[in-house]
Amino acid sequence: MQEEFKKALDFSNYRQTFSIQRKTLKEKIDAKLTYGINGGIFKIDRSLLNFVEMLIYKDRSENVVILDVNENPILIENLVEFREEIFDRYFTATLEYYEEYQNLKKSRSVEALLES
Amino acid sequence: MKKGIVMFAHNNRQIDYVKMAIISAKLAKKNLGVPVSLITDPSTVEWMRESNIFKVASEVFESIIITERPKDENTRVIFDGTEKVASPFKNANRNSVWDLTPYDRTLLIDTDYFVLSNNLNEYWNVDSDILIAESYNDIFGQERTGYLDRHVSETGIKMLWATTVMFTKNENTKVFFDLVEHIRQNYKQFADLFRFNSAIYRNDIAFSVARHIMYGYETDNDYSLPPVLSITDKDHLYDIDNDGNLVIMISPKLDGVYCAAKIGGNDLHVMNKQSILRNSEKLMGLA
Repeated sequence: MQEEFKKALDFSNYRQTFSIQRKTLKEKIDAKLTYGINGGIFKIDRSLLNFVEMLIYKDRSENVVILDVNENPILIENLVEFREEIFDRYFTATLEYYEEYQNLKKSRSVEALLES
Repeated sequence: MKKGIVMFAHNNRQIDYVKMAIISAKLAKKNLGVPVSLITDPSTVEWMRESNIFKVASEVFESIIITERPKDENTRVIFDGTEKVASPFKNANRNSVWDLTPYDRTLLIDTDYFVLSNNLNEYWNVDSDILIAESYNDIFGQERTGYLDRHVSETGIKMLWATTVMFTKNENTKVFFDLVEHIRQNYKQFADLFRFNSAIYRNDIAFSVARHIMYGYETDNDYSLPPVLSITDKDHLYDIDNDGNLVIMISPKLDGVYCAAKIGGNDLHVMNKQSILRNSEKLMGLA
C-alpha cells in the first residue's frame, strides 16, 4: 500500500489531485451556504442577498414571505435578523473559500496539495 | 421533538460493522451534537462483549437496541482496492427503524458514512416527513458514475441513496416504511414492474420505489438530503493527517492506479470498509 501511495504522489497526478481538492472544497462551501429556517431551505447566494437587502430598503422587514430552493413559501418574521444571518454565513464561507483556494493554487506538487 | 441518529450494525465474518458504527457515531455526535443509537442483534452484542468494545459502545451510543438478526442474507463481492472477496451482509431490516427508533425526528445513516461537518443540522426542521439523499456524488466526478448510479434501471425511475435518510415518526412515514417492507418481500415482482435487477436486495432501490409510489407515481421536486459524496470500494482511505483530514487514494479508472487527495470538512461515504477498519484507531481519535 505504501508503494502505491508513493506512486500516487507522482507529479503526473498533480492535475487530478488538484481537481479533486477543488471540487470537494467547492462542495464544502456550497454546503455551508445552505440555510434551513422555518421549515424551508435557502441557498445563500448573491440573488438572495440582494433581494433581502432590497426588501429591507423598501421597508418590508416583518412577516415577509420568501420562496426557498423548492419554490415553497417560507414566512420570515424578522427579515433584519434573517439578513444578518445570511450575510454572516456568506462572508464567513466565501472568506474560507478564498483562503483555502489560494492555498491550493500555490501548492505546486501533490505533497504540497495534501499539506495545504 | 427529540432528534437523534440511528445506525444498523449486523456483524459478519468479514466486516466489523459495530466498530465502524462506533467511529461513525463518534464523528456524528461531535459534528451534529445529537445523540446516536445503535440497532443490532444478539450475536453481534455477544461479539461486542467478547472483544471488549461493549463498554465503549455503551458510552458512545445513547441506546443499544437489540432486535432479531435478519434471516435474509445478501452476498455481494466487495473490494478492498484491487482485492475482492464475496461477503454476506444483512440489510433487510432497515424498514424496522420506524418501530425501533427512540427519536421523533431520526437521521438514519450507514455505518460507513462519516459526518465531518454540521451541514445535516440544517435539515432537522425542514417541512417534510421524509428526506432521502437525492443522488450519488462520486469524489472523482461524473466520469466514474453510470446511468445505473442515477436510476434504478435503464428505463426506470431516479435512484435515491438511502445512505442518509431523515424522517419524522408519524402515520405518513409509517406507511412509507411499511411500503419499503412490502417491496422487499415482493422484490422480484417490483423488479419486473420497475425493470431493476433483483439479484441483490438494495435499500436504495426499495426506498426510491416506495417514495415514487408515495408521491403518486410522479417524479417530485420535494426536499431531499444532499448528494452523498462517496469514494468507491476500489479507492482507499489511506491515512488521517495531523489536522484530522482524511488522506485518500483514488483510482480514476478503477484499475488499481491511484492519485491522492485529502478531505476535511465534507461528509464522506467510504465504501472501502476494510480501509476504514485499517484506520480505526486513528479515526477513533478524530472524535
